[in-house]
Amino acid sequence: MARWWMVATCALTVGAGTARAQHLLVPMDDAQANHLKAYGVTFTALVDGVRSEWLLNYRGGSFLLPDVPNLRRAAALAGVTFEAVGPDRVQEMRREISEGNMDAVPLEKAPRIAVYTPPDSPPWDDAVTLALTYAGIKYEKIWDDDVLDTDLSQFDWIHLHHEDFTGQANKLFLGFRDAPWFIQARDRDLAMARTHGLADIPALKKAVADRLRAFVERGGFLFAMCGATETLELALASKGVDIAGPFADGTPMDPDADAKMQWDRSFAMQGARLEFAGGVNSMSDIDGHQVNVAARRQPLGTYTLFGFSAKFDPVATMLVQDHRTVIADYYGVTTSFMRKVLKPGVTVLAHEEGAPWAKYIHGSYGLGSWTYLGGHDPEDPQHNIGAPPTDLALHPNSPGYRLILNNVLFPAAKKKPLKT
Amino acid sequence: MTSAMSAVARVLRCAAVIACLSPAVDGAAWAGAFHRLAGGATLHAQANPARSADPVADLMSKALEAESAGKNREAIDGWRKVIAAGATVPGVLGLERVFSILALEDSLLPTFAAVIPKFPRDAQLRSAQLRTLATVGRDAEAMRAFEEWRDLQPNDVAPYREFARVLLFHNRAAAADTVLRQATAALGNTRALVLEIAQMRAGLGLWQASAEAWREAMIEEPYYESATVFSLQPTPSAARDGVRTELRKPGAPLGAAQALAFLEIAWGSARLGWQVLAPLTPSDTVVSVWRQFVDEAERARAWAATRDALVAINKARPDAATALRGAEISLKADDPTTALMLAREAGNALDATRRLGEVMPTELEALARLGRAREAEQVLAKAAPQLGEEGQRGYARTIAWAWIRAGDVGKARAALVGAPLDAEDAVSGWLSLFEGDLEGARKALRMTESPGQDVISALSLVNRSSQKSAPIAGAAFLSLARGDSAQAARKFEEAAGELSDAASLLFTLAARIETARKADDRAMTLWQKVATLYAEAPEAPEAQLEWARGLKRRGDSAGAREHLEHLILTYPGSALVPQARRELDALRMGTVQ
Repeated sequence: MARWWMVATCALTVGAGTARAQHLLVPMDDAQANHLKAYGVTFTALVDGVRSEWLLNYRGGSFLLPDVPNLRRAAALAGVTFEAVGPDRVQEMRREISEGNMDAVPLEKAPRIAVYTPPDSPPWDDAVTLALTYAGIKYEKIWDDDVLDTDLSQFDWIHLHHEDFTGQANKLFLGFRDAPWFIQARDRDLAMARTHGLADIPALKKAVADRLRAFVERGGFLFAMCGATETLELALASKGVDIAGPFADGTPMDPDADAKMQWDRSFAMQGARLEFAGGVNSMSDIDGHQVNVAARRQPLGTYTLFGFSAKFDPVATMLVQDHRTVIADYYGVTTSFMRKVLKPGVTVLAHEEGAPWAKYIHGSYGLGSWTYLGGHDPEDPQHNIGAPPTDLALHPNSPGYRLILNNVLFPAAKKKPLKT
Repeated sequence: MTSAMSAVARVLRCAAVIACLSPAVDGAAWAGAFHRLAGGATLHAQANPARSADPVADLMSKALEAESAGKNREAIDGWRKVIAAGATVPGVLGLERVFSILALEDSLLPTFAAVIPKFPRDAQLRSAQLRTLATVGRDAEAMRAFEEWRDLQPNDVAPYREFARVLLFHNRAAAADTVLRQATAALGNTRALVLEIAQMRAGLGLWQASAEAWREAMIEEPYYESATVFSLQPTPSAARDGVRTELRKPGAPLGAAQALAFLEIAWGSARLGWQVLAPLTPSDTVVSVWRQFVDEAERARAWAATRDALVAINKARPDAATALRGAEISLKADDPTTALMLAREAGNALDATRRLGEVMPTELEALARLGRAREAEQVLAKAAPQLGEEGQRGYARTIAWAWIRAGDVGKARAALVGAPLDAEDAVSGWLSLFEGDLEGARKALRMTESPGQDVISALSLVNRSSQKSAPIAGAAFLSLARGDSAQAARKFEEAAGELSDAASLLFTLAARIETARKADDRAMTLWQKVATLYAEAPEAPEAQLEWARGLKRRGDSAGAREHLEHLILTYPGSALVPQARRELDALRMGTVQ
């Protein structure tokens, strides 16, 4: 797999040697005024068909764009810092990159992005849609109908909203069963299940999870945050096993559910133990922080991004490009992933020093790959239901949000395998 | 407090503690010890050192004396003797105080190991043990100590409450949460723990839930309003509505309303705070709360809220001092109408001397600001016999200002005859400006202290133009001073013809007035003129921004976007660029700005 990277990098270097055009260097270190919109400007270049480069580990993971008027304009409007660099400076940069743990990765085409989210949800309901909207990156919304009935291979990258794929609505019935929005969402999902000939919401969400698994298996990129990570794993592994409480499907959980889980069907986890108590707001022991169970809740610390070899492990390197390596943690329905339940092949991208959990993980499945980031909103550590939306204009340099946007650009860099 | 009195206070405090004490000491013995100790304290204060015959009281007195004198080693020895004599709790508490001063808290642990087995149910000793273990960082041992105490008294709230307090003191809100939840599960309700729950929730950032708990706590203990304010003050702005909802719920005690009002002051929204208190039916208690609000709001320089509260107090409990204070605050709130009303009310209740010295200056100032120059002159004339010529001259500036506000520059000048102003007085500057004398205005206005928007506009003009005279521009400022904004806008626009080197500024002043008047068509024409004809002027970015806003108000998002983009790209160094980017984002994302 590493071969095509090397070929691409060599081709780029040769090409650059003869290039006369000026470039725009978009630094991503502390010189950058708006890190998040820098991704949007780079994405604009890809949408315009302009080939760009991601300079991994060079000044915080900078971007090198051709100096064309449209990009200058986009950067200026967005308040993105850029430096016009001539051929000599570009040569010098390439020499520096070749000598260190850095690499230049060509970005070829804008990925087609879909976000799995209810049709009426506003952009600020989810950190990914918030980041995409703020950065000016276009995406499509998909929901259960789209996942079950349409060809997902039209998308390169799918993000999962903080959905509960076990069909238990994150056990929110414990505190919100009478809330109008909760009742509305439950009725909507039940109607959707019936439309597809499924008995209940858990069955619907499991069917959706299966389709998403097939999407990855055939070469798609999947990114999930918050509770979608843990529940997708549980939904995939529980084929034919009732893991939903009676409040969700009218029947009790299978008492032998733990033993019947098929972890070979899931992406990242194995051997996790389910939470059988209906009154305990937790799904399993996957999450290390257990924010909604006071007696188990762990305090927030900081998580540290790992460094990877840019030349030999470009994918992991791309996913951790940031101008900070230590970032303040934040809660979500699922905040972290206990190491003891991670499959051996999983790459830990970030963890909390000395803690038994990882924060940010990645892996391959079939021809595609998946990435999980724990927590709900990198700039709202204690996110509560009903809390006002995060205003990203106040966090243009958010290192946590950068991780989300790394995932958006990463498919642009990778050569797409053929889908079947 | 003298040292002798201080010693009495300490001994009495100690006696009070002892009186509440529990099984660590024999009850009857303590009743006697209390009286003896109190008596000993009195003697100590009077004669020093006639002591009681009771050996325990003497030992305690000596230990306290050593502690007060900072003789820590001696105090430690003294408190150990107190413990040995059977007064375990005061002895341990004394040791705890002294060791904490020396930062040697761990030296107390062997004492606990000895006394806790003897008095395993004593809440004072148990609490001290938990405090000490937490302070020295022995968390696991603290947890074990708590569990041991809890298991010994499974139906008692004290172990949970004391341990939760210790954890909260050490900023371990999440751990306190766990303990309090255990208490709820074990005891069935948390009524006795509501204070700790409130603090814990605030510590966890659960602001609304914390406010709810504080509200509950204040039903039984109304004096917790200060603690509520202290606890909830850090609430981030996004979560404050939740706090407001809880503290304003029907049936909430007065303390909740008071706490919310004080919180609003701390959050910079004092007028919202007054809105919480204003609907309360006046009673002695409520008026007392209002007075506290006034003091706090005045400290925060929240003049409008302070004024409103003083008006309400004066209505409920009229008195001259309140009315006069209200008048002075009303002037600070830029409300001369209320100031005049209150000043006159105060004047009616005061004797002639106080009226002259305390009320009249405020009354004249209010009249001047209202432009009621003739009335101001009458008030001054009435007081002339008492004031004398010199005293009257002291008010010439106020009378001149009154005539300026009335728009009569000639009478303002006349008022100053015999009391010439300094050339650099602001009143001189305004008179010069109104008469079109830019040179005089330039000299006087620049010395204005804490200039408002009107002075900044005037200074911008006189400094931008090199001309010496501009009667039309002067007339425009005079119209503005009279409150005739429509005329002022027209005059500013007209003045652009006489001051070509400041034309863009004059059009901008006119456009700002038209925008404020919501005369959108006129404003848009003027902004367009500035943006297109004076693209190099300092006002051009503002004109672009306002042009965009005008288009947005008309529903032309595309046009608005074009002008915002033009501003960002053409004037990248302008201070308005971040605002333009924000408004551009809002247009793109369809959010409300």
